Amino acid sequence: MAQIEQSSGGKGKKSRQKKMTIHVDFTPMVDMNMLLITFFMLCTTMIKSQTLQISLPSNEKVDKTEQNKVKQSEAITIILDSERHADVKDELTGKMLKGQVKKNLVYYYEGQPNIVDENKDGLIDANNMNETEFLPNSGGVPQGIREIIHDRNKQVIEKINVLKEQWRDKKLSDEEYQKRAKEIRNDSTLTRPIVIIKATPNASYENLIGALDEMQINSISRYQIDRMNATDSALMMDIKAKNLRK
Amino acid sequence: MGKVKIKRKSTLIDMTAMSDVTVLLLTFFMLTSTFLQKEPVIVNTPSSVSEIKVPDTNLVTVLVSPKGQVFLSLAGDRDSTYSSEKMRAELLKTVVAEYNKLHKSNPVKFTNAQVNTFSKINSFGYPMSRLSEFLNQPQVKQDELIDPAKNPNAGIPISINLDLDHPNEFQIWMKALYSLDNENLSAAIKDGSGIAVKADKDTPYEVVQVVMDNLQTMKMNKFSLMTALKSEGE
Repeated sequence: MAQIEQSSGGKGKKSRQKKMTIHVDFTPMVDMNMLLITFFMLCTTMIKSQTLQISLPSNEKVDKTEQNKVKQSEAITIILDSERHADVKDELTGKMLKGQVKKNLVYYYEGQPNIVDENKDGLIDANNMNETEFLPNSGGVPQGIREIIHDRNKQVIEKINVLKEQWRDKKLSDEEYQKRAKEIRNDSTLTRPIVIIKATPNASYENLIGALDEMQINSISRYQIDRMNATDSALMMDIKAKNLRK
Repeated sequence: MGKVKIKRKSTLIDMTAMSDVTVLLLTFFMLTSTFLQKEPVIVNTPSSVSEIKVPDTNLVTVLVSPKGQVFLSLAGDRDSTYSSEKMRAELLKTVVAEYNKLHKSNPVKFTNAQVNTFSKINSFGYPMSRLSEFLNQPQVKQDELIDPAKNPNAGIPISINLDLDHPNEFQIWMKALYSLDNENLSAAIKDGSGIAVKADKDTPYEVVQVVMDNLQTMKMNKFSLMTALKSEGE
């Protein structure tokens, strides 16, 4: 492993002291280290999960009189649903896809739902529910459901963007920025929407997180997760029926 | 003709530099990464823009399998008096006391060895009535029993229950976690950073809703949902 080499001293001189160089073979050491590195790479993870904090309303019964009714003009209801695969095989991998999410769907309506059917044709006359999608920004411009929420919360977002600009230029400290942003988000003089998120039993968890994410992206301060009711289901069935007839 | 002498060259390569590099890499991996925790089901968490990191300590993770089985894991405090293992042993004792109060006819009992085995399990979830049997099995058999793909009975029994006088087993566990003698954990559970719900992105909402409803009933209205970091541009 280690060897000591003797260098032949100067030719003419007859010095008794010989120069010694010590060579240590590091190959086994490198082998062992490589093994350890492989072990650490396989058994550990560098990814640390993120968390999204939510707070649900308390379950206690609230007096009807104390309940604050949401203003119609401010309310926007988002309904999440997912289309799932039936018994089919994935052509590429050959795995069964049963129950896996095929497509995440998002529906929304503003204000009150409209379920009047005056001409009795089984379809709602003026269904105010619309179908949309979760889409990423395209060239900095919001799209899909984000565009709709963004438009409703424009005043708040504009103010926050100004604040963000200052924060980026280091004119504001982190704490100050957080505090001022919170004040803007809760400023009742601005028009702020109230978003009600509902999900069908079939909707994927990813879809729910996506919706909560949009709230954060669009600085919505007032949103809640609620249960589906019969009206919502009726509106959804209607939209699906109309899509089929098209 | 003169003979051409081929000079013999030594094939020894100096490995010192290589060794230096590998040691550096090794140190890097050891310092930056955390060990993968063994979990009964592998879930693929959805991504979000949230940048709040999961805390390392004082955290209760509620793992929800796509079929609705629930598993809990508990990370204790940095302080060794409240280490994960000690907390888990204490937790089991609290839960047993509470469970036996409600099931007077068929109480459960654990030996010290069983409590010790339990404190070593990172992610736990098994019906109380058969937990004793589970803890007597060797490790390989335990892993098999707790895997929902192999044993549909795995997981802590959970149902929609609004009556806290007759809590379901999940509610007993959560209540015991909150009442553990660790103020930091109780505080974390109270402000919402101490409970993290972890579910697969394909899991139907009705499955997650059962867990969320139960937490809401327990007055643990604030909690966090575990997500992965969304890549840029999404």
